[in-house]
Amino acid sequence: MKEQYVDSFLKAVQDVFALMLDLRAEKTNEENVDKFVTTDGANVTIGIRGDLSGTVLFTFPEKMALEMVKIMAGMEIDKLDNFVVSALSEVANIISGNALSNLNGYNYSCDLDPPQVVDAGKAIPAGKEAVRLPLKTGIGEFALNIALEEDDKTGK
Amino acid sequence: MLWKDKYKIGVALIDQQHQELFRRVADFIATVRGQGDWEERLAKVKATLAFMQEYVVTHFADEEAYQASINYPGLAAHKQIHDSFKQEVEQYAEKFAATGFNEDLIQSFAGKLMAWLINHVAREDQRIGEFARQEVRSNERTIC
Repeated sequence: MKEQYVDSFLKAVQDVFALMLDLRAEKTNEENVDKFVTTDGANVTIGIRGDLSGTVLFTFPEKMALEMVKIMAGMEIDKLDNFVVSALSEVANIISGNALSNLNGYNYSCDLDPPQVVDAGKAIPAGKEAVRLPLKTGIGEFALNIALEEDDKTGK
Repeated sequence: MLWKDKYKIGVALIDQQHQELFRRVADFIATVRGQGDWEERLAKVKATLAFMQEYVVTHFADEEAYQASINYPGLAAHKQIHDSFKQEVEQYAEKFAATGFNEDLIQSFAGKLMAWLINHVAREDQRIGEFARQEVRSNERTIC
């Protein structure tokens, strides 16, 4: 997978985490995968269409998901309910939107599909070019999974 | 939902309204996530929702008027973000009415609203403040 794709998403995660959660997020690894595996917590997938097509999947373990929403809400959050999952879906949407702006800087024009929540314990086929990025933060580790391919017609 | 000083854009009217908006959304979230039977809480949920919807419209209008007053070049794009959000809120309101104010649906709306508002104020609205400050500096240089 092109470094530009990974960097665009990584920078977006880091910017949004700093802005919305006052947290740093650092990539601890990058591995090629052929399937995406969801966690026991909140799992949000977003489709990408345009010059690049594919999917990103954010997998937030339950403890971290609750902590993220606690930071935003300023109140104790003790269960993974619709409020939590919806807030994290919007965070995933914001990160993906920022990543698309970054990709636009490399002359890739893309659109996002609405976020979808995926059940825990699922293995989703990821396509030919897919990577998993574990990201470490002060409140836990989550993973950003990216599967992106160039549309043959773009010739980029 | 916590207000942070880093969200200030340096324009008194807008900063006051943002803080009020955060208070109202916090109040809405606290009501939606409160203890007790949903049916018993519903009257307060409806009241805070209506109150907040009205305030969002007022605030967006005032913020757009301010942007126009300083010839902010991002006004059209910013207005589009506001319009799109207002439309989404209206769609939610229709769904609430159609489902008899389903609790899960309102919880989902509250979560999305919270994250959207934090990002919008902390990112998009900051650009208005940056432009206003640049204009002031530019005018000061011209006067000198």
